Amino acid sequence: MSVPLSQMWTVAAYVLKQKLSGRERYPLVLMLEPLFRCNLTCAGCGKIQYPAQILKKHLTLEQCLKAVDECGAPVVSIPGGEPLMYPQIGGLVDALVERKKYVYLCTNALLLKEKLEQGVLEPSKYVSLSIHMDGLREEHDEAVCRDGVYDRAVEAIKEALRRGFRVTTNTTLFDGASPLRMREFFDEMMGLGVEGMMLSPGYGYSKAPDQEHFLRRGRTHDLFSKMLSDARKHWKFNQSPLFLQFLMGKRDYECTPWGNPTFNLFGWQRPCYLLQEGYAESFQELMETTRWESYGRKSGNEKCQDCMVHCGYEATAVDDTFSSWKGFRDTLVATITGKL
Amino acid sequence: MTLQGWVPEIGEFLTLAEVIDLAFDYRGNTTVVKVDGTEIEGYVFNRNREASEPVIEMFDAAGTGPIRIPYSEIRNIKFTGRDMAAGNSWQAWLERKEREEAEKAARLETGPA
Repeated sequence: MSVPLSQMWTVAAYVLKQKLSGRERYPLVLMLEPLFRCNLTCAGCGKIQYPAQILKKHLTLEQCLKAVDECGAPVVSIPGGEPLMYPQIGGLVDALVERKKYVYLCTNALLLKEKLEQGVLEPSKYVSLSIHMDGLREEHDEAVCRDGVYDRAVEAIKEALRRGFRVTTNTTLFDGASPLRMREFFDEMMGLGVEGMMLSPGYGYSKAPDQEHFLRRGRTHDLFSKMLSDARKHWKFNQSPLFLQFLMGKRDYECTPWGNPTFNLFGWQRPCYLLQEGYAESFQELMETTRWESYGRKSGNEKCQDCMVHCGYEATAVDDTFSSWKGFRDTLVATITGKL
Repeated sequence: MTLQGWVPEIGEFLTLAEVIDLAFDYRGNTTVVKVDGTEIEGYVFNRNREASEPVIEMFDAAGTGPIRIPYSEIRNIKFTGRDMAAGNSWQAWLERKEREEAEKAARLETGPA
């Protein structure tokens, strides 16, 4: 696993503090969406289908920072939309670094080289450029519905690494993905020199253009087992090994939707990053008034039955690490040996 | 299947609360017709039916908002704007790729000019 020690320590200390204080539900990663505008229309994305006046809007820097402070999570992920289209992205990242938040800037990298050349972003141990890469050239360009995006992303990754940035990749997988091709992709990304890779099955967004390729639970286990069994030593994953084992079907977890709360133009999204069942005005209102028992697999909610997405389950896996000696030992063993 | 263009008939078989839920789920602008006869066009992004006074929240067509309107002030909601989720960008991509492949195959068949 490739999460830097300082980040691991910060997260560990935070989770232990929550547990010692008896806090049953706590946020781990804030999903901060400053805008919905994007320069791609990916087949599996259900995040950007809004009328023009909504796509033109974005959060103010003050709104973003208020949400960060309200939430208190040690990690802030900035997806969107395309966050590099947010006019104040540099100021936002700087302010998060000042607050010692670990930042994942999730970008398709089309604008990255240009922004790096403009000096909009500075390298920091707190900042990881998390590049959207859904596979090798053919698969990625098909996933994002545009030729040439893979090559531009690779070029931007090289440039970011050359400038001393932490670079990770984030990959969403859909039905039909080839385990063999994905293994080649892992080799390719590690060959570029990225710090680590993040994987997740895609969520079955009802608003996404492609409704045919969302993974069901059994297929997810099958795909991830084939991809990750006998994982190569040099592959590094920037996520909990227990979460990857869950995707492989080796563990059974329940969703913790409050683990990755989402803030955007509409407020605090209920109940999670994926479902839009309403919005709360404050983080406290979100935590106190959302009917959490109505979500997750055990609830019987049909929208949750096939979901195994990182934003629902990675927080569960991290919580498991600190809930028992077994969880801690399993995490440690997988981290040291690289075996999943 | 899209609700684009639909003007609901609220009555015995369709309640206002149901129409509001559909408008909340709709990824396009709608026109909220108020009890006083005025209309507001925009995007309904939230609804709270459990509040002591149930309300919707929306940004109008110019992006101004959020505007809060109690359920009690709404007569109907018309689905007047384009459904942005009814697009077929992925389908268009597939069709274009298939066309390109076919053109490439045809060129190979006919050989160099």
